[in-house]
Amino acid sequence: MTTEMRSTDRPLPEGVRDLLFADAAAWRSMTTALHETWRGWGYREIILPTFEYAETLATDVGSQIDAEMYRFFDRHGRTLALRPDLTIPTARVVGTRLFDQPLPLRISYVGNVFRHEPPRAGRQHEFTQAGVELIGARGAAADAEVIALAVAALRGVGLPRFRITIGHVGFFRGLLAALNLPEQLTGQLRSAVSRKAEAELADLLAEAPRLASDVCAASRALLHFTGGPQMLHTADAFCLNLMMADALADLAALSGLLAAYGVDDAVNYDLAEVRDLDYYTGVTFEGFAPGLGFSLITGGRYDGLLGHFGPPQPAVGWALTLDRVLEAREVQGVLGAQPAADVLLSALGCPACLTWAASARALGVRVEVDPLGLAPDELWRAAQARGIPRTIAHSQPAGPLAASRLLTLRDAAGERPLAADDWIEVRQWLSR
Amino acid sequence: MAEPLTIAIPKGRLTDDAFAFLARGGYAVPNNGENGRRLVLDGADGRLRFIMVKPADAPVFVEYGAADLGIAGLDVVREAERDVYEPLQLPFGYCRLVVAGKTDRPEMALRVERSPRVATRFPRLTEAFFRKRGLTPEVIVMAGSVELAPLIGLADLIVDLVQTGVTLRENGLTELSTILESQAVLLANRASYRLRSDEVRELIDRLAAVARET
Repeated sequence: MTTEMRSTDRPLPEGVRDLLFADAAAWRSMTTALHETWRGWGYREIILPTFEYAETLATDVGSQIDAEMYRFFDRHGRTLALRPDLTIPTARVVGTRLFDQPLPLRISYVGNVFRHEPPRAGRQHEFTQAGVELIGARGAAADAEVIALAVAALRGVGLPRFRITIGHVGFFRGLLAALNLPEQLTGQLRSAVSRKAEAELADLLAEAPRLASDVCAASRALLHFTGGPQMLHTADAFCLNLMMADALADLAALSGLLAAYGVDDAVNYDLAEVRDLDYYTGVTFEGFAPGLGFSLITGGRYDGLLGHFGPPQPAVGWALTLDRVLEAREVQGVLGAQPAADVLLSALGCPACLTWAASARALGVRVEVDPLGLAPDELWRAAQARGIPRTIAHSQPAGPLAASRLLTLRDAAGERPLAADDWIEVRQWLSR
Repeated sequence: MAEPLTIAIPKGRLTDDAFAFLARGGYAVPNNGENGRRLVLDGADGRLRFIMVKPADAPVFVEYGAADLGIAGLDVVREAERDVYEPLQLPFGYCRLVVAGKTDRPEMALRVERSPRVATRFPRLTEAFFRKRGLTPEVIVMAGSVELAPLIGLADLIVDLVQTGVTLRENGLTELSTILESQAVLLANRASYRLRSDEVRELIDRLAAVARET
C-alpha cells in the first residue's frame, strides 16, 4: 500500500481504544473464565443498557463519579448519561423489577463503563467492568462468599499474584463517634487517615480538645491496624464502643470463613481504609497486584443502596477493572498468544477440500482456507506470516476426494503426504 | 535477597537533605561522587533503589508504582493531586507557596482585583486559591524564573515558592498572601503499602524516629 493511500488522519477521540487480535483474545478468554467461575458459584448474568437517565445513574455515586459522567439529551430534552458503573443499574433492576424474587439473588455482569477521568493504568474513559452482587443476605457468610469469589475469579483469569485487603467502615465510624470532634476537625482527620498521614494525624489529635486517654490511644494506633488476622486481636484491646467491637467481630467471623474457603493466603486486613465511608455500610475490600500501582478490584457491603430504588435489601458485591487485570497479568509475565489457525488449506478449484475442512473443524481444528489460489511455496510463506504452523495443498484439483487420496502437508519439519482420511494425525494438532 | 524498595528522590534542592535523612534512618545511600548523571542508583545494603526524578514527577512515579516510595515537597504533591499515601512529613525542605506582586503596586486587596494575570509553576493550586475567593485568574504556566513575569509586564502577580524571601525582594516583589506551608513529605504507593507492608512499615517507623529526634 502506498503512503498516500493510508488513512492516518482519522484520530480517535480521547479516552477510547481498539483492542486488536491478541488483546481481544485475552479480553475474551478473561470474560469467559469469569463467567465459568460465576456459574460455578450460582451467579446469573444480567445485561444492562449502556445509557440511562442521568438522574438514576447519579443515585448515591458520590460527587467524583457524578462529575465524571458523560451526559447528553434525548429528544425530549431529558438528560441521559452513559453508565459510569454497573452497580447502580443493577440496583435499579433489583429494586424495580426483581424485588419479589426469592432471596438471596446472585447477579453477575460484564460491561463497558464510561468516565471522564484521566486515563490511568490501562483505564481509559471507556473501560470494562466485571462484577457480582449478592443481594438479600447480611452477615459474615455473605461477605465471605463474595470475597472468596473475588479470589476465585482472579485466580480463574490466571493472575499469578495478588492480594485483597479487607477493611470495615464500622471500626472507623465507631472511632469517630468516640472522638466526637467538631465537623471541620473530623474532615481533616478523615483526610489524614485516608492518606495514611501518621504525623498529621498525631498533630490533629493534639489539637483536639480534652480527649480521653483510651480514645487518644486508639486513634494513634489506627494506622498500625494492618496485617494478617492476628492483627484483629491486637485491635480488640482498643475498642471503645459497640460499633467498633461489632466491626471486629464481623471481621473475625469473616476471617474464619475465608480460611475454610482456602483463600486466607490471598487476603489481609486494614482497619484504616476509609475511602468510601459514605457509600459502604460494612466490610470493604480492595485488590492489588505486584507490578501495578493501582487497585484492580474494589467491593464491599452497601446495605443502603437498594432502598433508593425499591424495598431496602442488604447487598454486598465487587467490580473489577478488566483492563487493569489484563495489564497486571502481562506485567507478571502471562502473555496472551496471537490467535492463529492450526492449518492454512489451499482449496481453490478443489470443492472436495472444503468437505475436508468441514470435517476437520468438527474435530475442533481451526482451518483457514486460502481464497487466493496461492502456489504451495506462497501458501507456506503466507502461513508463516500469520503464525499458522502448517499448510495443506492438493495436487489433483478435480474429482471427489477419495478417502485414500493424498494431500500435501507442510510444516516446520518439511513436506510430506497426508491421507485425506488420516484424522489421527489431524487430531494431534489439537494438543498444543 | 528480595528486590530493594524503589524510592523516587527529587533532583534539586531536596536531594542532599533526602539522602542525609535516609542515611540517618540507617539506609545505605549513594555517595556524593556517585550522584552524577546516573538516574538509577542502588544502595550498598540492597534495601533501597534510588531513582532520580524531576521534583514535580515524584508523585506520578509513586502513583503508578514505578517507585514504591518517594520524597517530594508538599507543594508539588498538592499540585499533582495524585492518589498516593503520605505517611510522613519530613523535617526539611521548608518553604511557602505565596502570592507576590510588585512592591510598588497600588494598595489593593486581592479580592477586588478584576481578573488578575498570574504567572506560576503551580497552575492547579493558583486556580483553586483565586477561585475560592471569587476571582477567575488568567493563569500563565511557566517552567521557571517566574519572578521575571511582573517585572517585564507579563503578569500582574506570581505564585511561587519562597524560602527566605531574598529572591523576591531582590526582584522588587512583595508577598501578599500565603497559599501553602510546605515541607518534604514521604509518599507511598497504595499497592506497595500493602504488598510490601513489612518493609514499608519498617522504613516509615525508622524515618519517624529520626524525625522525632530532629
